[in-house]
Amino acid sequence: MDAGSITSLLAVAIAFAAPLIFVAMGELISERAGVINIQLEGMMLVGAFAGVWAAMASGSPAIGFVGGAAAGLMLALLHAVLCFVCKAEQVVSGIVLNIFALGLTTFALKPVFGPSAAVAAPTLGNLSIPYLADLPVVGPILFDQNAMVYVAFATVAAIWWFLTRTTAGLALQASGEAPSAAVSMGINVPRVRWMAVLTCGAMAGIGGAQLTLAGLGAFTQNVTAGRGFVALAAVVFGRWMPAGTLLAILLFTITEALQVRAQLVGIAVPYQFLVMAPYVVTVIAIAFFMKRGRAPASLGVATPDH
Amino acid sequence: MRMFPSRSALRNLALSAASIAVAIALAGVLVAMAGANPWHAFAGMFQTALGSEFALGVTVNKTIPRLVPALGIALALRANLWNIGAEGQLTLGAAAASGVALFGPSLPPALALTLALFAGIIAGAAWGAIPGALRAYCGVSEVITSLMLVYIAIQLTNYLIEGPWLAPSSTFPATAVFPADYRLPRIWPGTLVNAGVFIALAAAAAVWFLVNRTTIGLWLRAVGGNPRASEVIGLPNRPVIIAALALSGALAGLGGAIEVLGVRGRLLEGFSPGYGFEAIAIALLGRLNPLGIIAAALVFGILDAGAAGLQVASAGVSSAIVLIIEALALMLLLAALGLSQRLDQRRMTRSALKTAQG
Repeated sequence: MDAGSITSLLAVAIAFAAPLIFVAMGELISERAGVINIQLEGMMLVGAFAGVWAAMASGSPAIGFVGGAAAGLMLALLHAVLCFVCKAEQVVSGIVLNIFALGLTTFALKPVFGPSAAVAAPTLGNLSIPYLADLPVVGPILFDQNAMVYVAFATVAAIWWFLTRTTAGLALQASGEAPSAAVSMGINVPRVRWMAVLTCGAMAGIGGAQLTLAGLGAFTQNVTAGRGFVALAAVVFGRWMPAGTLLAILLFTITEALQVRAQLVGIAVPYQFLVMAPYVVTVIAIAFFMKRGRAPASLGVATPDH
Repeated sequence: MRMFPSRSALRNLALSAASIAVAIALAGVLVAMAGANPWHAFAGMFQTALGSEFALGVTVNKTIPRLVPALGIALALRANLWNIGAEGQLTLGAAAASGVALFGPSLPPALALTLALFAGIIAGAAWGAIPGALRAYCGVSEVITSLMLVYIAIQLTNYLIEGPWLAPSSTFPATAVFPADYRLPRIWPGTLVNAGVFIALAAAAAVWFLVNRTTIGLWLRAVGGNPRASEVIGLPNRPVIIAALALSGALAGLGGAIEVLGVRGRLLEGFSPGYGFEAIAIALLGRLNPLGIIAAALVFGILDAGAAGLQVASAGVSSAIVLIIEALALMLLLAALGLSQRLDQRRMTRSALKTAQG
């Protein structure tokens, strides 16, 4: 493999990473607050659908992202109502919302996009950063991407800053680690969790929209194809840290990029093993390197009533 | 999951039935919005699912692969464990049974089928035991790991189907058709119903017996109810956790084995449209009770078998409406349970206040 193809492989991996970053960072926020979202896949799916729809209707990809965020938010709202108001298990709500999202987007595919579904929404073009894009090697990898890729990477830094450097971020962590103690500190834990879940939904929706709007600009049935679960794995593999999660995502998307270019590179591994790689490394990491109590202590546990 | 329902089982099941009815009504609104006549659509659905002997057979066949894994999910839930990975255990169980059917020795049919079914059970149990062991010895929630293992199982199986097991003449990803000795016999002339029905019903009875009438069942409920207390009285928490998830996986694997040995007769890529995930909804709609689970699985079987009829009768409304009905039914049930619990709480608080004042 020559230098040129390594460069283009890494550029593809960075582009693949962007949707996962939005989704995983949303999930990270929510899990750190103590709420797990198995419906990440579903929120991404409705985001991808609504993203294309809104972008087509408005003619602007930016509006598409707003639409994607709104759709993800709606599904997250259902999750919050089921978990916090109806006190349902977070896992059950998540599974059922995944089924709901797949059903809804498949059902609405023809009525909304027409029988051929070949009409494409306006997509996001590349935004080369002046001068930086001309740098050798790193230029084409990092600085010749679409605008939302830069936003995605900025989000990682922003979330790190929020979690570790702001009072609100610390309150959020407390809500996930020790909700009862947090309540006694005067933190409104239910409110924190509501906000975290809704944020997660909006971000997962943006991630879904990124998938379609930075790609072909069209929605196909189950277009996310398990990427929401990959994001879920990335948060665990990244040990609930923004930087760790980002590294996990990059590891996964480099594998994914390899899979796309397997023939070019001459890899003999059957593609199924590359598809399962993120899950395999995550399970192995859990089995061998995860010390007890790495996950937020009250993850998946209902909020304390008061 | 609450272990002892606060209301009578009958009232619980009535709540499930009402949720399903309302979900179907809401789906009718969606069908109308998509420009089709909901009456015609649902008539078409019920015609294809229940309108003839053959149709009933199809419905039964669509019920079994959802019913058996749902029993396993309910079993694990008795121990307060979430087997989210039934889909993976089912897929791998189907693959293992297929492996035996494709490459197994020529045996008398009864022996051959037993061998293939056991391969499915063991593969499912092994796949279920992994999250169990990780939960018991590493303290990691079984939710994430069993979910991750779903996609590993599916890709492993896809690899087998597209790689070493691919039928030479096949134009789509599938193995060769199994030899006749390795097919579950048909039991109802004029339909495609196979002996898997008996196995599924026996599994339902066995799960009920195990949970309610044996020491193992008591252990499961003790560990699920209060792990610290069960440790104090000397119960082996860790083995019980692993055993619960392994048993749960065994049932999912059995469901997959029945599906390939009884219905498909070969291993096809994507043969499961998510039976293992739907099984979670079924276990809960059935309120963890074997009879309730059979009823809920039958409803899902009717919806699935009727999906094709619905699509024809409504001029192309997507059969994905079935997924919407399933999801809505469970959401409504969760909402109803939540609300009734709140009402109970309020009533209890009020009566406690009255006692205190009086």
